[in-house]
Amino acid sequence: MNENLASAEPTATIRVDVVSKRFGGVVVADAVSLQLDPGEIVGLIGPNGAGKTSLFNLITGTIAPDAGQIRINGRRVERLPVHRRARFGLARTWQHARPFTSLSLLDNLLIAPRDYPGDGLLRALIADRGLRRAEVAAYRRALELLERVGLAERRAALPSELSYGQQKLLGIARALMNRCDCLLLDEPMAGVEGRTYDRMREIVTAEARRGAAVCIVEHNVSFIRDLCTRAVFMASGRVLASGPVDELMRDRRLTELYFGGAVV
Amino acid sequence: MTYLLNVVILIEINCLLAIGFNLILGYGGLLSVAHPMFYAMGAYASALLTLRLGIPIWAAIPSAAIVAAVASIGLSLSALRVSGDYLVIVSLGAQLGVLLVFKNIELTGAASGLGGIPSAFDGAARAPIHAVLLAVVVLAVTLAVRRLMRGAYGRAITAMRNDEEAFAALGRNPRRIKIAIFAAGCGLAGLAGGFYAHYFQFVTPEQFDLFGTTALLTMVVVGGTATVAGPLVGAALMTALPQAIGFLDLPVAAMAPLQGTVFTSLVLLFLFVRPQGLLGGRRAGGGVEAWVGRPPISP
Amino acid sequence: MLQPEIILQLVWTGLANASYACLFAVAFALVLRVNKVWNFGQAGQMLIAYSAMFIVLRWWHGSMIVAVSAGLAATVAASLAIEQFGFRVLRRRRASTLSYFILTLVLSQLIVFVGELVFGTEPTTLTDSIVAPAFALGPIIVNVWDCEALAATVALLLLLYLVLMLSPAGQNMTAVADNAALAELYGIDPNRSYRMSMALSAIFITMGMLLLGTKTATVPSTPLQQYLIASVVATILAGVGNVFSAGFAAFALGLLQSFSILIVASRWQPLVVYGVLAITILLFPRGVGGWQFRLPAAGRLAPGSARAETAR
Repeated sequence: MNENLASAEPTATIRVDVVSKRFGGVVVADAVSLQLDPGEIVGLIGPNGAGKTSLFNLITGTIAPDAGQIRINGRRVERLPVHRRARFGLARTWQHARPFTSLSLLDNLLIAPRDYPGDGLLRALIADRGLRRAEVAAYRRALELLERVGLAERRAALPSELSYGQQKLLGIARALMNRCDCLLLDEPMAGVEGRTYDRMREIVTAEARRGAAVCIVEHNVSFIRDLCTRAVFMASGRVLASGPVDELMRDRRLTELYFGGAVV
Repeated sequence: MTYLLNVVILIEINCLLAIGFNLILGYGGLLSVAHPMFYAMGAYASALLTLRLGIPIWAAIPSAAIVAAVASIGLSLSALRVSGDYLVIVSLGAQLGVLLVFKNIELTGAASGLGGIPSAFDGAARAPIHAVLLAVVVLAVTLAVRRLMRGAYGRAITAMRNDEEAFAALGRNPRRIKIAIFAAGCGLAGLAGGFYAHYFQFVTPEQFDLFGTTALLTMVVVGGTATVAGPLVGAALMTALPQAIGFLDLPVAAMAPLQGTVFTSLVLLFLFVRPQGLLGGRRAGGGVEAWVGRPPISP
Repeated sequence: MLQPEIILQLVWTGLANASYACLFAVAFALVLRVNKVWNFGQAGQMLIAYSAMFIVLRWWHGSMIVAVSAGLAATVAASLAIEQFGFRVLRRRRASTLSYFILTLVLSQLIVFVGELVFGTEPTTLTDSIVAPAFALGPIIVNVWDCEALAATVALLLLLYLVLMLSPAGQNMTAVADNAALAELYGIDPNRSYRMSMALSAIFITMGMLLLGTKTATVPSTPLQQYLIASVVATILAGVGNVFSAGFAAFALGLLQSFSILIVASRWQPLVVYGVLAITILLFPRGVGGWQFRLPAAGRLAPGSARAETAR
């Protein structure tokens, strides 16, 4: 757990150093460097195909970089598989919720705890007291999170019975089952509004306040302006600019790239 | 009477094989064509432990199961490093290669196999005792699988099959689960092999060839993958079917291909027409494709 | 003491005997590259080719030309059927590779069992005599069969290369192999390419079985028990997506098996293939790199999938 907010030299939660990746002819990351510090909410913006989701994939380990280094809390992770990186405090959501379709909402959350001791087959068969305690603890936490996203009464439902926005809330609740140092949200606001918007907003600010580093890929400009402490602009696999949101919004060149000429 | 009991015992042994195979294919989502090979490994290991080292049968059979389980880890660890697809290929190589070795070395009796394998019980009550004993074992294994799949482990497997990447992103390790399931399945095959060896007291390499995979596929696909009772139903049906043509443990020239034709046709039929098998639920696609098992009941 | 004549002889015999293995490997690798399927049904196709030619040559005492035509016709028809009624259905269902494996394996098994019912399990050959006239070429003994086999193999490889590079259908196949979705956007019908690759593989399989059947005796289960795994290993060695390299890998495997006679008894020779498989999976799971003759590689293993390549 990283409680470095008050220390003299805070280690960045995530450090991406000159990372590159290409698939055949397509360059998804071109010498990208990025740093996420605890308590920040960073907006990752840019036109479609800029490589924002790919950057998330590189950080989480879904794809391996061709070059460069990635650090989580100071530890180099670019050779580690997805689940190992997640155990270092990384949590993410996807553009399209990706719930476990055969499991109820409650079960979707219950399988999340990574400190759950029941991964071993023999242990699961014996089901000792320690296991039972872990299950009860997980159950409590799951209910808590479901309340927070307003889905507690639907906990026995299947994800297919939920609306798109509700599924996204489920996604973020699932990501929060484990205490995370870094939260990567991929277009959390796409296709949602109203209550869901507020809930999402509340969750993001709460996590940042708790000391997590939050990075959000978003197209919803007002959400970015509202929440983000700074923004990073990407296009064609490259980081073009980084700084306070307003500053980036005022940059002609960037808005042209983003909106194709139209001014915000 | 003994003949009928022999069929029952064969059904019970096939149940163990089918349950193990279903664990790997239906729950784990992996195809291994080496199940007959692990069956052979268990049979030969148990036989050799008793014949050459004088180890008592009640210790040899579980040891054989452990040997099979441990050997399986070598296979799954190396193959799953790449992907689940490679397990098919590696298991094919293992199945063919290991059987070739068994067929050619003196230790395993080469092509003539091993005979005179000691039996646990002798006398008139031999068959019924074995039948009951095996029934208890099958029941115990079935209950264990049921318990496993109804709880958090089953939940984890469901999630893993639904979306492995999302599962891993939560910090859970899919490969560890697959390797464990594979070991459990192959261990069961080894156990079945041990029981076979000490009941029928004679093993030859031909009994464990690639056709065994087809038989198991038939049992599991027809019975219903990813169900607890499916493999039992499948095993019973697919063992009784050839028996109805009056056929015991050694295949007769034309009977085997006939049986094989029926089995393979059944698999293909079910694959296209009723993928969820006889006992599987009607959820989208079903069978080896979508996750069909009943999601575990939460507290 | 190892005399150079022995080595040369082993090289020549190894290469000649690997001729049909090369054809089988190329067929397998082609379907994997274009259709994105590990076509274990190839064993069944091999048996169909053999059976058709066997029936013409041994039961009806027909000529070789009729036999080969029958073999080609039967195998191409069967291959197209497999693609149309098997792969295409699974593709539409967005089935996982698991279903393809089960389908192809079980299909091969079915064909083998039917073959055993029809032909029995006694070893057979396509021609009465499999001993061809031989002559001395320098220090080594050369078989007429060897020359014909190698010539046929080289000719077929050349033909395939020309088809893939120069014909529009061949170029379409390459496009579909790289990115089926994209190819479709450009107006190429992927299904046509899938059928074409199956048909081409059928030709290679038939010619390979002709060579095999005139060289050594087989039983219906031989393709499944022996030759399929060799094609798979060659394909993996070469790296998924490299069709011609798979052919070369098959030759390399053949040479390895040929030379293994110096160390092990002949009954252990098949183990060479399994040993290479084990080593390849452990050390070079993505193929032995560098020298390959590379057509633009596909890289993805999932049939019909447009998912981006993942590292793990």
